[in-house]
Amino acid sequence: MSPLLEVRELVVRYGDFTAVDGVSFTLDAGETLALNGPSGCGKSSTAMAVLQLRRPDSGEVGFEGRELTSLTERELRPLRPRMQPVFQDPYGSLSPRHRIRDAVAEPLKVQGRWTATDGPARVAELLDRVGLDPSYGDRHPHELSGGQCQRAGIARALASEPRLLVLDEPVSALDPSVRAGVLNLLADLQDDLGLGYLFICHDQAVVRHFADRVIEIREGRVISG
Amino acid sequence: MKPTVAGFTRALCLVAVVAAVGLLPWLSGRDPALTVLRARSAEQEPTEEALDAVRRDLGLDAGPLSLLGKWAGGLLRGDLGTSWVSGTDVLPSVTAGLQVSLALMGVALAVAVLLAAALVAPVLVRGRGSAGAFAAMLAAVPEFLLATVALLVCGVWLGWLPTSGWQGPENMVLPAIALGVPAGGLLGRLVADALPAVLDERWVELWRGAGVSRARISGAALRRVLPPLVPQFGMAAVGLTGGAVAVETVFAVPGIGRTALGAAKSQDLPLLQGSVLALLLLGLVTGAVAALVRRRLLGPALRDAGLALPPARPGRTHPAIPLTLFTVLAVTIGWGLLRDPYAVNTAARLAAPSPTHPLGTDGLGRDVLARLGHGAASTVGTAAAVCLLSLLVGLALGFLPGIAAGAADIANALPPVIVGILVAAAAGPGTGGAALAVALISWPPLAAHAAALVQEVRASAFLTAGRAIGATPWWILTRHVLPSVAGPVARHALLRLPGIALALASLGFLGLGAQPPAPEWGLLLDESRAYLERAPWAALAPAVALALLAALAVSGAAYTSGRSRVRKAAPALKKVPVAV
Amino acid sequence: MPSDVLLSVRDLRIVFDGVEAVRGLSFDVRPREVLAVVGESGAGKSLTARALLGMVPRGASVGGTIRPDLSTERGRRIALVPQDALSALSPVHPVGDQLAAAVRSVQRVSRRQARARAVAALDRVGIPDAARTARAYPHEYSGGMRQRAVIAMATINEPDVVVADEPTSALDAERQEQVLRVLGERREAVGAALVLVTHDMDVVRDHANRVLVMYAGRAVEAGRVQDVLSRPRAPYTAGLLASLPQNARGLRRLPALPGTPPAPGALPAGCAFAPRCPLAADRCRHEEPEPRPLHDRLVACHRADDVPHPAIDLFQEKQPA
Repeated sequence: MSPLLEVRELVVRYGDFTAVDGVSFTLDAGETLALNGPSGCGKSSTAMAVLQLRRPDSGEVGFEGRELTSLTERELRPLRPRMQPVFQDPYGSLSPRHRIRDAVAEPLKVQGRWTATDGPARVAELLDRVGLDPSYGDRHPHELSGGQCQRAGIARALASEPRLLVLDEPVSALDPSVRAGVLNLLADLQDDLGLGYLFICHDQAVVRHFADRVIEIREGRVISG
Repeated sequence: MKPTVAGFTRALCLVAVVAAVGLLPWLSGRDPALTVLRARSAEQEPTEEALDAVRRDLGLDAGPLSLLGKWAGGLLRGDLGTSWVSGTDVLPSVTAGLQVSLALMGVALAVAVLLAAALVAPVLVRGRGSAGAFAAMLAAVPEFLLATVALLVCGVWLGWLPTSGWQGPENMVLPAIALGVPAGGLLGRLVADALPAVLDERWVELWRGAGVSRARISGAALRRVLPPLVPQFGMAAVGLTGGAVAVETVFAVPGIGRTALGAAKSQDLPLLQGSVLALLLLGLVTGAVAALVRRRLLGPALRDAGLALPPARPGRTHPAIPLTLFTVLAVTIGWGLLRDPYAVNTAARLAAPSPTHPLGTDGLGRDVLARLGHGAASTVGTAAAVCLLSLLVGLALGFLPGIAAGAADIANALPPVIVGILVAAAAGPGTGGAALAVALISWPPLAAHAAALVQEVRASAFLTAGRAIGATPWWILTRHVLPSVAGPVARHALLRLPGIALALASLGFLGLGAQPPAPEWGLLLDESRAYLERAPWAALAPAVALALLAALAVSGAAYTSGRSRVRKAAPALKKVPVAV
Repeated sequence: MPSDVLLSVRDLRIVFDGVEAVRGLSFDVRPREVLAVVGESGAGKSLTARALLGMVPRGASVGGTIRPDLSTERGRRIALVPQDALSALSPVHPVGDQLAAAVRSVQRVSRRQARARAVAALDRVGIPDAARTARAYPHEYSGGMRQRAVIAMATINEPDVVVADEPTSALDAERQEQVLRVLGERREAVGAALVLVTHDMDVVRDHANRVLVMYAGRAVEAGRVQDVLSRPRAPYTAGLLASLPQNARGLRRLPALPGTPPAPGALPAGCAFAPRCPLAADRCRHEEPEPRPLHDRLVACHRADDVPHPAIDLFQEKQPA
């Protein structure tokens, strides 16, 4: 069986600066692979390139057996829901103008899976799944705490029914007690849904606890893993 | 990529403005031969031959390109042509006017700096303050209004100072105050608004915590605030050139602004070209000096992109203030609209306020309240149309940031009065021309705002998340980008409405906008100047109305920005790792 | 006041934005010690640190006593290392000038002497070629150099107490270690005590002598680091330690404190931690516990003697709200 995600010789440049310099790894379904390294080592650039939200300058990204880098934006669009990001700043990743309910419903609408009868129930189910009372759906992001907001962001990602979550420092902005709760939620989701996690984190202790495998990155290169 | 586009647009706009000046005789499309003939010799019969001779003499029979070429060629040789009216060389008139104006602007600048210092000092001492609101009010009062009021109070009622001419230093006081106070208000507001946010920056904490004295921190904060504001100071100085036209006209100061206005009115196009060019040059030189000062002030720190000032915290304004102002204006206007603004009653000329004429009557016995009400309909109505047009253009061009930035630079360097003079010279004075002139320079700030918002939204994580769920560009544009941009820019446009109305009024005041007997506010104020001593109420009514409008602009802006700031504030987050 | 106490805080109360954010806090700072003040967002630890310096935000009112009052002698007696040292220097002043301004504000020295001291201070924190780099602007410094310069500025007047407010929370592990090392070296060199505000138990373990754990504006536990961290007696401290991934010992799910800290101004009756506490009894919901000496420390908990060891089991399999 081919891996869920196979990244080969990924290169990302910003002008003259090479942020990611030939990174390769594979990730299976149900597995957590951590990218670890100091600030500015190219972890987040790798994540964006895997998601094809920043097209890599060279290299290959195989996802569920398809090579993504050669696809056009239009060809890529139907595949995008299968891999979802969760960002570091819980407030920045949800539109400040929309209620939580609408933010979670948006993927369903975009992907043509929204119906007036089933849609609201699905949103409530997703909020419940991440440990948020469905009444939170009426609120705006700034009316939630950081941890609640991060849960809402995870619910939104789950709405797309992904196979892979790219978690870019998902708990770095949270207080320690809240952090444990979000990490537990992610662990439960993985156990139940068999998701693959590409987990980007600079905290060694969190990485050691949460990841199955760890890749150390320095200055855009893999140094171990 | 972007600076090149902006630079290109900038250069293109500049060339276009200069070419428009050069092409004025052709653009105006009217035949000045008769005017010129009359001006040169009262006796000569306006026969077809005589008029032809004049046309040949003026070079009007040639095409636009040769006209432009001839003018540009003369320009390079330092020859600005010959006045159509007086037949003398343009250059000496321009340099003489320029000398007077430079002296006036110099004194006005000193007034502005003193006023700004007085406004900033309390903020600096207390570390926080609300001088911004008062300063903003001063900045919003148009020069022509201030000049008229100063003339009325200090010159006519109190008789302290001469009200016209240019004989000695005492002549300078009132014009310099009228010109310097709005500029000082603007400078003071910029600094006073920026200071509290800078005093909240982390380095102030470090400095205080390390025992650095308060005086040293205040000095350092000023040093921190000034460089990024220098370009705006330059703009304020450029604004003086526009204000000078109004102020010189009110106080009969023989400066370059009054020369330009007179030339526009008498269709003396070579003189107009020369003086407008001089005004533009003045603006450009000021801008260049500002850039140079900024470079000197910043020194090697210039390259740091982190020098942008933190966003100013808006002062809180109680909604009752703008609401009250709006109600007073609306009631007055509504009342006036019910009355007849054109009914002439020679028996009741210059009548004092009474139950029949609540705000008195003007020189023809027309009811001032009626004229004020109907004037609002035309002034504010035109302003609303200009505002809407600017909003649409601004939104559309906001998606092309390079063009928006370049055009905004040039528009900022052009005071509305000068554009108004150019448009009036080309199309003749009128409401349409004035509206066009104001519209030409009121869209760029909106476009710049829209461009900044578009950039901000495009960089946001939630938009990235939107792409990740497979949303089409159209979905992202219509569900996320446009709604995030249109609302704030529309509010911004609405806030500019009173300012646009004031700009229209100032053109009306100078005779470049609506023509008599239309009841336009600026025109009302201008007409009332003739009998200022006998019927001050006729001047006070439009003056107070304009001042209320300015206050409404300031308090409305403060209220909405304060509100949107509160709404946007997210709970404080722990700091997240940053790249070093 | 005993002679081995540098700074004595008694019944500190800080009202900010209309709510009492610090509610009767007492502690001492002893000479040359490192006192860690630990707690989550909103616990009041930053306000407490600022109160020591007399630098609470405008609109905050401070009650209780802080003796002696060092806030009038900032720089010489007490100094601050602020959060986010990367942006803590003025961008428009050369770094050396900023340090010299601190010297000249506190001591009567000539401009030249102040400059010389600034250069020496930069040299001491390991800034290369300090005489030349003192003339450079912060943006010409690397991130690490900026952090060193900030520490040099805070310690240039050799204060008795250095207050560091989350100096490393914005940094990754490697840089965090560097900053704390330089800060520790300077602290020892000038013989100052350090009040270290942090939310990171690892920092407490590796860098502090004593710890003050805060929750909802009060002290819940205070004592020597080895005592408190090896055997926490307050359920909140125990929960904080248990939820650290490094203490999870191979568990798939981390022990987690249920719920979220209460908003200041919306505190529950009785003990503020009771709604989240697995040991909460009736008494806890009615009576707010006062700090009392117990097992070589101060604990504010009615059930301190019932906290098991290890406490991980207490927090296992609790679904977060």
